[in-house]
Amino acid sequence: MFLIKEKIMRKTSIFLVFAALCMFAATAATAQNGDVLIKNATVMTASKGTLQNTDILIQNGKITRIGKNLTSGSARVIDATGKYVTPGIIDAHSHAMLDAINESSFSVTSMTDVKDALDPDDISIYRALAGGTTAALLLHGSANSIGGQSATIKFKYGKGKDDFLIKDAPTGIKFAMGENVKRSNFNVPGMTPRYPRTRMGVVETVRDAFTRARDYRQAWADFNAKKTKTPPRRDLQLEPLVEILEGKRIVHAHGYRSDEQLNLLKIADEFGFKIGTLQHGLETYKFAPEIAKHGAGVSIFIDSWSYKIEGYDAIPFTAYMLWKQGIVVSINSDSDERIRRLNLDAAKAMKYGGVPEEDALKMVTLNPAIQLGIGKRTGSIEVGKDGDVVIWTGHPFSPYSRVETTMIEGEVYFDRAADAQKRTAAEAEKAALLKDKMNSGPATGSGPGAGPRIPRESIVHDRDHADQEKTGDTHTDQEGGHR
Amino acid sequence: MKTKFLLLAFAAIVTILGNTVEAQSVAITNARIVTVSGSTIPSGSVVIRDGLIEAVGADVRIPADARIINGSGLTVYPGLFDAASTLGMPAPSGPQGQGGPGGGGGGAAAAAAAAARAGELEGISNYPVGLRPEFRAADVFKAGDSQFEAVRNAGITTAVVSGRTGIFTGASLVTNLAGDRVSAMIIRSPASQNFSYRTIGGGQYPASLLGTFSAFRQLLHDAKRQQDIERLHAADPRGLKRPESDPSLTALYPVINGQMPIVFNANTEREIVRSLDLAKEFKLKAVISGGHEAWKQAARLKEQNVPVLVSLNFPKGTAPTAPEADPDDLSTLKMRAETPKGPARLVQAGVKIAFQTGDLTNVNDIFTNLGYAIDDGLSADAALRAFTLSGAEIFGVDNVTGSVEKGKIANLVVTRGDVFAKERTVTHVIVDGNVFEQKERPAAQPGRGRGPQGPGQPAQPAAGSIGGTYTITIEIPGESMPATLVITPTGSTFTGQLRTAMGNSDVQNGKITGNAFSFTAVVPYGGVSLNIDVSGTVTGNAISGNINTDQGAVPFSGTKNP
Repeated sequence: MFLIKEKIMRKTSIFLVFAALCMFAATAATAQNGDVLIKNATVMTASKGTLQNTDILIQNGKITRIGKNLTSGSARVIDATGKYVTPGIIDAHSHAMLDAINESSFSVTSMTDVKDALDPDDISIYRALAGGTTAALLLHGSANSIGGQSATIKFKYGKGKDDFLIKDAPTGIKFAMGENVKRSNFNVPGMTPRYPRTRMGVVETVRDAFTRARDYRQAWADFNAKKTKTPPRRDLQLEPLVEILEGKRIVHAHGYRSDEQLNLLKIADEFGFKIGTLQHGLETYKFAPEIAKHGAGVSIFIDSWSYKIEGYDAIPFTAYMLWKQGIVVSINSDSDERIRRLNLDAAKAMKYGGVPEEDALKMVTLNPAIQLGIGKRTGSIEVGKDGDVVIWTGHPFSPYSRVETTMIEGEVYFDRAADAQKRTAAEAEKAALLKDKMNSGPATGSGPGAGPRIPRESIVHDRDHADQEKTGDTHTDQEGGHR
Repeated sequence: MKTKFLLLAFAAIVTILGNTVEAQSVAITNARIVTVSGSTIPSGSVVIRDGLIEAVGADVRIPADARIINGSGLTVYPGLFDAASTLGMPAPSGPQGQGGPGGGGGGAAAAAAAAARAGELEGISNYPVGLRPEFRAADVFKAGDSQFEAVRNAGITTAVVSGRTGIFTGASLVTNLAGDRVSAMIIRSPASQNFSYRTIGGGQYPASLLGTFSAFRQLLHDAKRQQDIERLHAADPRGLKRPESDPSLTALYPVINGQMPIVFNANTEREIVRSLDLAKEFKLKAVISGGHEAWKQAARLKEQNVPVLVSLNFPKGTAPTAPEADPDDLSTLKMRAETPKGPARLVQAGVKIAFQTGDLTNVNDIFTNLGYAIDDGLSADAALRAFTLSGAEIFGVDNVTGSVEKGKIANLVVTRGDVFAKERTVTHVIVDGNVFEQKERPAAQPGRGRGPQGPGQPAQPAAGSIGGTYTITIEIPGESMPATLVITPTGSTFTGQLRTAMGNSDVQNGKITGNAFSFTAVVPYGGVSLNIDVSGTVTGNAISGNINTDQGAVPFSGTKNP
């Protein structure tokens, strides 16, 4: 069981046992020239229909040809006869690989940036890859009216954190409204509460922040026009807000109630900026026309509700109703567990209301890519796009299908057969390491040995991330513990 | 007869006065001398006068007034240089990272605590305690031989000392480890700024790692601006509003100007990468301290020319006591096994390293672990350099100490047997020219945790002894909640669990410093989950401390279960 937890794909370790090395050489063979030819698959392109018995050629990380009977040249050939290929799944709301999620001291923490707290070794990444997820938007938590700056990444597990970042992706930021922001569930008797405590206060907090940001932008404009002698103080809290005002940063706004989210659209209109996505938005079906008018996207849970007061008005037909309005809809996980099976959440969009198959697939591929501003490079299987593809044993909307291989830019990051071998190798390595002088007691110093180790399970059911400050394994047995 | 007696008496007095007034020299003769800076002298002498090395060489004239130490069969080395220590710093008092107590640079916390209790914090700074680089460890550093005796007897003559708490842990001092007056002991202060990936706690900003980064950046930008406006104002004050003068910012000028090293306490690869990123972003003269996983980033450390103060407090596993216990995970096992191999890999990659003791309280562990590093490929020469001259170079004191050279401070260690050999015996330790002679005793046991601690060791339990199960009471306003706290140490970190009637929570980020500990956890409370930030101390069987939440702090206390 514990093996699942191991960071078995670390390339940085130069001390993998020999077996692991052999295995790795086999699976990473594509890396030799980066070229791979997937033969004879059922290709669900997510933009141009489903193609039968089709080949995909990926060269230098990009899809260069899609068609029948392609020749491989020097590319490694994968026979995908009887298998399905989809674009890599993209999660528009995740907190995976973050060492810290909420800076909950202030209600406006736009100066923080989750890119500072990335953990490229988080086992959640590997699990996400095993579910076909190749890219994600990593967001600050929802404790603040205006949270921290986000990271748009591909799950290049085994590489350094900087390799994860999609270099040309637009920057983003987390906003939030409602219970989490007004600290409804964090009221300890005798403790001084944090402002804002009401939904009115949340609106005021956002409006105040943007008023300050506007003044700040003016102060710099005055200085640059030589109207003032000394430069204004650089304010790391306001700089990202100025970028929002200038349309350079995408706002991803957590919220549940329709009245609140409508309020946010109004504030955005008032200050002349756009909301990129309404996150969660379980009541967005109530004001879909207004959302469409503003031009915001929506990123939702397909059929998850009633886990908190704000979630009681949700319906599973939201995706369908928004889709009917022409709104770009994505289905996100907000969870290190659900991120592994977003394909099934997409399938449910067909069940509830009848979203067509390709549009349902788009909700976990091309649509989140568009919302993240990376739709030009990934999210669908098209010539010229990144070679981010998943090979499935069967139709990806079937619960019986499994991911066989997950590739990012033509490089294999998960392979089911190789994974089994790695587990064996990891067992052997572990047995050897347990005998090492540094791993056998007693500890340095003269203390007693230790108490019993507590078995830990690191899967987190952290939908909505009310406030979790995830800093390692988090033990959540009680269902609903963190919503 | 009478006259002759008087004359004799007079002569005797003159002799006595002469001995005390004029500095008598000390000469170690016929010894093997490992200079570190130059070649080793197979047989030669070192002459010491007035705290300095007066002469060194194979053919040195021994002064007539010299007290002679026959070095036959002995080896003279530079005194060992501990590149990161908290010796002489006040013990942590109260919870670390509180808005008031303990948040400041080292023992500055103690002073700040009083002010905090009175209500408002005093001082000119606009920044919270914990984010105040103007705190100097030297201001609270305590002299007095007894606390240094154990490490000094092991041959460590000099240490870089910084505070224990805060994000900025206080500007360090380089000091010799003997003397009763701090003013006479200090070699350099401030020697470096010191930064830790911590939070302020108590719900104050920064309350998370995210905030620690943004607060650090804002502080550096603010310092740069204050400095820029000061310069503008100095050049022509007319028509320009005078700049503010915030001491927290002024203290950072040498750091942002790249003149003073800033030491990042970072053991994990991610902390090291983050430090290197910050160093690059602000063009800082960075140093990594701790560096358990530094070898993984050897190429970048070399490229950015960042030295590593390698902690000899290597992480070590503990034997599980319950048969059903889960073994440690693979990455932890691997990290522990690889750490002793790190120093050799860093040196091979061309990264400058200096050793630090990582506040190991048992001096034998320092040399046991150093022995592991040597067994794992570090050459004895490289090890010696890393424990002497390299540290002095990193902190800019290599012109006065770190090697056996004429004109440098007489900081020496004399041993029978190689200085790092298992069978070594330290015979003399010389600090500022003062000779601390040691009775030769049977070779120190190199084994773990069995050796003598040395007299005068502060009454501080070793890290491991914090481990255990404690029955505690949490004083929530209006009610007392019974709880159980399990602490399972692994070197300077620990795992464990906090158990209350409301549920069990795993310890996260467990850290042990001396007899103090801290951790975070997510606890169920009244139907919701609370993030808590716990810190406390263990004294004997008693445990006490504070639990900080976003809403404030509550105290707890209790005792260890038998």
